[in-house]
Amino acid sequence: MPETAAVSIRNLSKSFDGTEVLRDVSLEVQPGEVVSILGSSGSGKSTLLRCINWLEQPDRGDIRIAGDRIGVSDTGKPMSRRELAGMRARLGMVFQGFNLWPHLSVLRNVTEAPIHVQGLSKAEADERAMALLEKVGMADKREQYPYTLSGGQKQRVAIARALAMQPKVMLFDEPTSALDPELVGEVLGVIKDLSKEGYTMVLVTHEMEFARAVSDQVVFLDKGIIIEKSHPSEFFENPKTDRVRRFLELEAPAV
Amino acid sequence: MDSSAWGLLIQGAWTTLWISGISIAIGVVMGLLIALLRVAKIPVLHQLLGVYISLARATPLVTLVLFIFLTAPTMGVNLNRNVAGIIALTLNTTAFNAEIWRSAFNNFSKEQREAALAIGMTPWVYFRRIMLPQITITSLPGLVNEMSFLIKGSPAIAVIGVVDLTRVTNRISAVTYDPLPPILAAAVLYMLIISLLVWLQRLAERKASRLAV
Ligand SMILES: Nc1ncnc2c1ncn2[C@@H]1O[C@H](COP(=O)(O)OP(=O)(O)O)[C@@H](O)[C@H]1O
Ligand SMILES: [Mg+2]
Repeated sequence: MPETAAVSIRNLSKSFDGTEVLRDVSLEVQPGEVVSILGSSGSGKSTLLRCINWLEQPDRGDIRIAGDRIGVSDTGKPMSRRELAGMRARLGMVFQGFNLWPHLSVLRNVTEAPIHVQGLSKAEADERAMALLEKVGMADKREQYPYTLSGGQKQRVAIARALAMQPKVMLFDEPTSALDPELVGEVLGVIKDLSKEGYTMVLVTHEMEFARAVSDQVVFLDKGIIIEKSHPSEFFENPKTDRVRRFLELEAPAV
Repeated sequence: MDSSAWGLLIQGAWTTLWISGISIAIGVVMGLLIALLRVAKIPVLHQLLGVYISLARATPLVTLVLFIFLTAPTMGVNLNRNVAGIIALTLNTTAFNAEIWRSAFNNFSKEQREAALAIGMTPWVYFRRIMLPQITITSLPGLVNEMSFLIKGSPAIAVIGVVDLTRVTNRISAVTYDPLPPILAAAVLYMLIISLLVWLQRLAERKASRLAV
């Protein structure tokens, strides 16, 4: 029997105010796989990612997380808030703007959901959080508040916060786009480590070299349609469409 | 002024403090509840609350105090003066507080909400753990400001015979025939109360500015 896909998206469509932003998108992410979503600005990458955890509600199609449908319960009715929260807890999301909670220290940002969503004791949550902060190199900053951190440090905390829920899949929406160039590397380093540890990840990024290095699959979105889906070496060396060829020339001038 | 005059003055100050204090405490919580109901935009209720807020904010406190005190008996409720005063002050301050809370809700960052929902919080956990602690801090300067407005407006309850810090000065000068000393003393006591609030407000503003980053 084939393994259940970590994420399975079938025939997803989504419009905003009558404009179709995603058109009949289908995509499977296998456990342990890293999938990068590329495409120019406005092509629907964020919307696709945000549909996966139901921050946006698709108009058509279905999305399954490890076999279970998100957003729609077995009876076909919209999920209750509690059911939806339970599904979302299985997905970690990292945002372009970090979105840390400014009233909580680094450590409490990471323990908040394990304690108040999963019901862990403070001691258990602290232990789990410290191991993750260690992993992202932020353990010594545990008592600090977000406003004292650099962008790269904030993003590493945000990654630890998402990992603390032990999600089945990590979703990254341009995690380095808001960073000063010299801080990009420290965040990409963390994501790369996660890929080596076998985390399942869906990554929207403009870092072409990085996408090429970590991805098992590259997906190219153009005006809400997946026009290429291939192995990174194939994608970067032998793009099938002119559209992708032009995109690559602009984004990753030949070195 | 002799010691009995001071005693009366302190009693008046105490009356002002506890009547305002109760109104403030209820008004802050009710303001939050009304803001929540308004943000939920429940039809009809939303409009009704909007009308209440406009009316309560437009009505002079003295008018509101008299209105409550005089209409309650016609509806078969006999209100003691103090209770009537508390109800009027509460109706007034609740309306202002509701608007302060509401603007904090509306200005709250959508990004933090998404981070909370994405990680698996229900809207209620998000409200309690992420939003409320922050809007409390950001609303505090406005709320404290409104508290000092309320205290400065509280002599309105004298029209229905409550002997507060302002009214008591009349009583004292009726005996001493020298109105100035008690009024000056009352002014000093008002300033003490208000400056305590101003100090609290500074503290709140300093905390709030840290969250804004
Ligand atoms: N909440 C929204 N309301 C209306 N339009 C939106 C919304 N979110 C995204 N869009 C539009 O959908 C299109 C795709 O956006 P997005 O998914 O953010 O693209 P990308 O992440 O690839 O830059 C854009 O034209 C954007 O303006
Ligand atoms: Mg985007």
